Amino acid sequence: MPSLAIAYVRIVDAVNRRIGRLMMYGLFVMMAILLWSTISKAAFVVPAFWTLELAQYSLAAYYILGGPYSIQLGSNVRMDLFYAGWSDRKKAWFDCFTVLLLIFYLGVLLWGGIDSTSYALQYNERSPSLWRPQMWPIKTIMCAGIVLMLLQAISELIKDVAKLRGEPIHVV
Amino acid sequence: MSYEAIAIIMFASMMLMLMTGQRVFGAIGGIAAIAALTLWGAGGHDIPFASAMKLMKWYPMLTLPMFIFMGYVLSESKLADDLYRMFHVWMGPIDGGLAIGTIGLMVLISAMNGLSVAGMAIGATIALPELLRRGYDKQMVTGVIQAGSSLGILVPPSVVLVLYAMIARQPVGQLWLAGVVPGLMMASMFVLYIAIRCRIQRHLGPALPPEERNATMREKLRLLRAGLLPLGIFAAMMIPFISGWTSLVESSAIGAIAAFLAAVVARRMTREVFEVSVRQTLAVSCMFMWIILAALGFGAVFDGLGAVRAIDDLFTDQLGLDPWTILILMQLSFILMGTFLDDTAMLVIVAPLYVPLVKVLGFDLIWYGVLYTITTQIAYMTPPFGYNLFLMRAMAPPEISLKDIYTSIVPFVLVMVAALAMVMIFPQIAMWLPNYVYGK
Repeated sequence: MPSLAIAYVRIVDAVNRRIGRLMMYGLFVMMAILLWSTISKAAFVVPAFWTLELAQYSLAAYYILGGPYSIQLGSNVRMDLFYAGWSDRKKAWFDCFTVLLLIFYLGVLLWGGIDSTSYALQYNERSPSLWRPQMWPIKTIMCAGIVLMLLQAISELIKDVAKLRGEPIHVV
Repeated sequence: MSYEAIAIIMFASMMLMLMTGQRVFGAIGGIAAIAALTLWGAGGHDIPFASAMKLMKWYPMLTLPMFIFMGYVLSESKLADDLYRMFHVWMGPIDGGLAIGTIGLMVLISAMNGLSVAGMAIGATIALPELLRRGYDKQMVTGVIQAGSSLGILVPPSVVLVLYAMIARQPVGQLWLAGVVPGLMMASMFVLYIAIRCRIQRHLGPALPPEERNATMREKLRLLRAGLLPLGIFAAMMIPFISGWTSLVESSAIGAIAAFLAAVVARRMTREVFEVSVRQTLAVSCMFMWIILAALGFGAVFDGLGAVRAIDDLFTDQLGLDPWTILILMQLSFILMGTFLDDTAMLVIVAPLYVPLVKVLGFDLIWYGVLYTITTQIAYMTPPFGYNLFLMRAMAPPEISLKDIYTSIVPFVLVMVAALAMVMIFPQIAMWLPNYVYGK
């Protein structure tokens, strides 16, 4: 494989792994927000009104930024009635082509995301709630996560091609 | 081309892509994106991202990582070991008693968790080896664990009912309460089946020999305390929720924190347990969320085609069927699809199709939620695609073959179909408790 491709796989996998490992602990951020929301209801006259949306944004960041790491962990279910019985080579052959569908999906997702984010920036879009947070920060985060997903999907493709050429790339 | 034909092509190409073994969310999302662009040109490109925004606004989705985390904490920290021992000493002397005890264990775990994965993991790692060592029939044992763990999605808290609630726009509290009596009824029917079967065929589930169960009364009572843990966690979650002090999502966070603290207090929260539970929570949550995201996009395109109205039209006007026949046909087709489709995908694809239809036909959507969940349970367990079947295969010791797993579920699936029929004929089984609590 060209050294550029190998370097790409190494860098993308390492970056996504770090980001994923960091997002993993986002679980406790969500817990803290929800716990604060519960406490504020009991303790104050006016309960915290920003917790609901902040928790929603955390979840969106959690699963979109954590997505590439979940691909690395191999946790995305496949329908493996036939797949499970195939040889590694055959799996790689099929994945090389079908991953293009995944890349296409992520591309369209990103296209819509960029449109939506630039709209939010241009018109200073706010969420229609009491808290009225700006929408562009979370949309930007989501777009960044989709880009990372896209990079990871391409990395998977390169790894499969390398496997088929008999020179698999080992990621540390 | 007619809209029905487009809908069929979309569905068929999605099935084809799923068969290739690509990641489920990629296959569903990709087909949805292609369909959106071909149908509406460049204007259709915002559908996938619009689904992401829609998914973000679904507040109850936050329960998903909480319940998954709870499940992993409970199974990884081995907190359930004492629970199992409790049933072991109390139920051991009866024919098939350990199998009956396992059902009891599963009910308690279901009351702490919203998915069947935790029950499956605990059943396969704790109960399975014990029961096999005691000479229980292996098909009996695998059947019991699969059937028992499937109760996780019917007994509250239930993630499946949360997803259903969002699609059907029904209150989660009433849906959860509606699942209580059918869940317990189904558990009792399992127990009845095991007791009768083991009474007739003693070798399937031999009673424990005396030397195995000579625990003192004091020891027995001490073990009874283990039952307090699930009751405590369940109460900490459900009481504030039912009385309206906390929202559903806040309750799930309390439950997750309670389970975590219980593991810390019991000194079971080692570094490794922590790492595995936190990492697996991210992995499984991402898996679910991305599939739901992709399926929402698929559903949006499907909705845009007016596919639901076309199907409704086909059934009621063109075929002239009455609502009950359609309902029964729907449940049958659901089970049939469940055997072929991946269950997570099915949940989010089939529900948006069926729920509006049920509403048009004039049925109660809370009651249908219970029917829906029981059907999902059955679909979870029926080959060739069954989430529980795969999990069982992954967790079971090698002497249990895939054939054993497939045959073991037959009697339990029949019991579940019987339970489904009972809830269909007597809606009060499901509706009594929510009506009583919410005073309708």
